[in-house]
Amino acid sequence: MGTLDGKVACITGGTRSIGRAMAEAFLAEGARVVVNGRDAAKGAVAVAEMNAGDKVAFFAGDASKQSTVEGLIDFTIGHFGQLDICCLNSGGVAMTAPVAQMTDEEWQLEVDWNLNHVFWGMRRALQHMIPRESGRIIVTSSVEGKLGKPGIPGYVATKHAVNGLVKAAAQEVGTLGITVNAILPGIIETDIVRSTGPDSAVAMGLAGYDELIGLFTAESAIKRPNRVEEVAAVAVLLASDAARNMTGCLFPVDGGTMPY
Amino acid sequence: MGLLDGQVACVTGGTRGIGRAIAEAFVREGAKVVINGRSPEKGAQALVEMNAGDAVHFSAGDVTSREVCEALIDETVARYGRLDILVANAGGAPDAAPVASMTDEAMSFAMTWCFWHTFWTMRAAINVMTPQGSGRIMAISSVEGKIGKPAISHYVAAKHAINGLVKTAAKEVGTLGITVNALCPGAIETDVMKADGPGAAEAMGMTYQGLLDLFAAESAIKRLNEVDDVANVAVLLASPAGAGITGSLISIDGGTSPY
Repeated sequence: MGTLDGKVACITGGTRSIGRAMAEAFLAEGARVVVNGRDAAKGAVAVAEMNAGDKVAFFAGDASKQSTVEGLIDFTIGHFGQLDICCLNSGGVAMTAPVAQMTDEEWQLEVDWNLNHVFWGMRRALQHMIPRESGRIIVTSSVEGKLGKPGIPGYVATKHAVNGLVKAAAQEVGTLGITVNAILPGIIETDIVRSTGPDSAVAMGLAGYDELIGLFTAESAIKRPNRVEEVAAVAVLLASDAARNMTGCLFPVDGGTMPY
Repeated sequence: MGLLDGQVACVTGGTRGIGRAIAEAFVREGAKVVINGRSPEKGAQALVEMNAGDAVHFSAGDVTSREVCEALIDETVARYGRLDILVANAGGAPDAAPVASMTDEAMSFAMTWCFWHTFWTMRAAINVMTPQGSGRIMAISSVEGKIGKPAISHYVAAKHAINGLVKTAAKEVGTLGITVNALCPGAIETDVMKADGPGAAEAMGMTYQGLLDLFAAESAIKRLNEVDDVANVAVLLASPAGAGITGSLISIDGGTSPY
């Protein structure tokens, strides 16, 4: 008996790191899960590694594209018959540059990946959940949804925006059995961070990747990065019936970094 | 196999309401729990109702006394050999009134019951947990630890103070394997709410039912929270997965708090 028996979840950016940990935790609690990712080969590997038979499926596509995000929601409902838990998890630092040097095109990449993707997914998911009067929307935001950092203004601004979107949507559907929450992780050494971290470090005026990780962990109380399992455990709680009365919450998993 | 097998917890104000729900959730997950409360009769009744044998122990005492708070931590260690989880849950604020007519006694009592008891138990617990190199401290704060409400400045100030204490302590012990968090529930109709609520409502110029309706109206879910909402988060924070969550003021308020 799992806390998510009979539930169906979809997760953007679910083949690796935080999204993958969520998928595995949901599967362990009895849910069926569709994971999304850009790379079909990585998707196939992820599905094989999760070894969950027909309880897990992969949907290929770039989460910064509206057609992918809406397609994922529609595919999940078609494949498993319903959608109970929508995790809008994909995102990252698409561009590193100070505001003064940021181009319109780079800015748009951040907005599409981190903010519009969440809006597109949330809107489509709510259209399915509202008539059913049941559902969970879980957005992976960030400690940068509450704090600023130089050199990554697009990331900081879009994560702040996502938090606002979560709070507004939570108010709209609060009486419909649907909760909308954000999880705000601190720094986690995910594949995305490993790939974009070196450039971010340069844009932030740091010597390199190690200094970047060091800066983030120094700001925490625990003086270490967070772990994907810590985020996944919160996602399971928020997805379960136990959290039916938690909504509009910006849930920190940041080792004591955020001031509020 | 529970998430908290082998762990020892202490819950102030644990015979009823939120504290009782947390104690029961911890016991279900395999922990041993000391519950504190003022009334030996209510303590005895709680033990009977919880029906958990040696896994639960009641310690009578009023946590508005420092000696009681410190003795409670000592008693927990003496009884079960260690202290892994402290839940500073007791608190309330009788004699509501606008600031202009709030008495020193009402302010002082609320600060003692909510804030000083949290500080006294936290300090004692950190001194036990530091040599262990592990521990979980949770303060039951409130949505009023983040926002204000007229006529309950004593409660609002005390809960804000708890949040500041939590954030500071979390920074101090963050590398010692000890986490310190505040849980900020929305309104729940506990026994303390039933006792203090009518007075607060009167001071706010409304009926008790009107006060409950106001709390619900301020939320997104348009209903009050329940004690299990808080207990479920407490289990997560106490569990191994909670190791990376500290200094957090977690809203469990149906979408009431703005941040």
